[in-house]
Amino acid sequence: MIVALEIVVFVALGLLAVFGLVITALNRPPDRAAKIVVGVAVALLVVQAAVAAVRVVGGVALAETSTFLIYLAVSVAVLPIATQFATATDEDSGPTRWGGAVIAVGAIATAVAVVRLQYLWDARV
Amino acid sequence: MSERATSSGPGRVLIAVYGIFALSATARAAVQIAARFGEAPVAYLLSAFSGIVYILATVGLAGRRPWSRRLAWTAVLIELVGVLAVGTFTIFDSGAFPDDTVWSAYGRGYGFIPLVLPLIGLWWLRRTRASVPP
Repeated sequence: MIVALEIVVFVALGLLAVFGLVITALNRPPDRAAKIVVGVAVALLVVQAAVAAVRVVGGVALAETSTFLIYLAVSVAVLPIATQFATATDEDSGPTRWGGAVIAVGAIATAVAVVRLQYLWDARV
Repeated sequence: MSERATSSGPGRVLIAVYGIFALSATARAAVQIAARFGEAPVAYLLSAFSGIVYILATVGLAGRRPWSRRLAWTAVLIELVGVLAVGTFTIFDSGAFPDDTVWSAYGRGYGFIPLVLPLIGLWWLRRTRASVPP
């Protein structure tokens, strides 16, 4: 994986988690701006996953290739699903303030997946 | 007061955490069982069991069918018993499980979230249920 890109991904996920918690604290449901912020983070994750996948297919040998590929998929998929859930209607009254916290949970879980990816990447054979 | 949906308000955050544990425990168990079942069959089967419990808890908490709440209660109680039993067992007999599970050492490998999560789940189920009129 690319170290510089990974740092950018971490910063983006950290900011996203803080952003989610802040809009929950401010009692604001996730809006269009929240979706754009999530979109930027997901775009970075997609680039990271594409680079890593190409290198694995291109012959970089890992100790646990299937686990690595699963984590790659998870790292990309969690945030869009969490955001969909966060912005869905709650009791017929639109999304609530808690949507931001759901996005924060997704961001933290994605960050954990990226840490695991780095461990697995370091265990090259 | 009438019953409140377990998926409303902060319940969403709880469901999100449960969903992530359902995904990670199940995926982890699937890989372990497929790749190296013989190394630690008990631990891997336990991982699979915990994954199923998390899936059922997620479905129960997120659903609004008549049986959803009962499913959630059952799954979260099994989860609490599981993390306490496996946690205690792994502390006193660390050789019993050659490989870690979600619930080993009370979920230490997962920031002790597996220990706290069922307590929050039970609190939320109790908080949202219909109160009996006096």
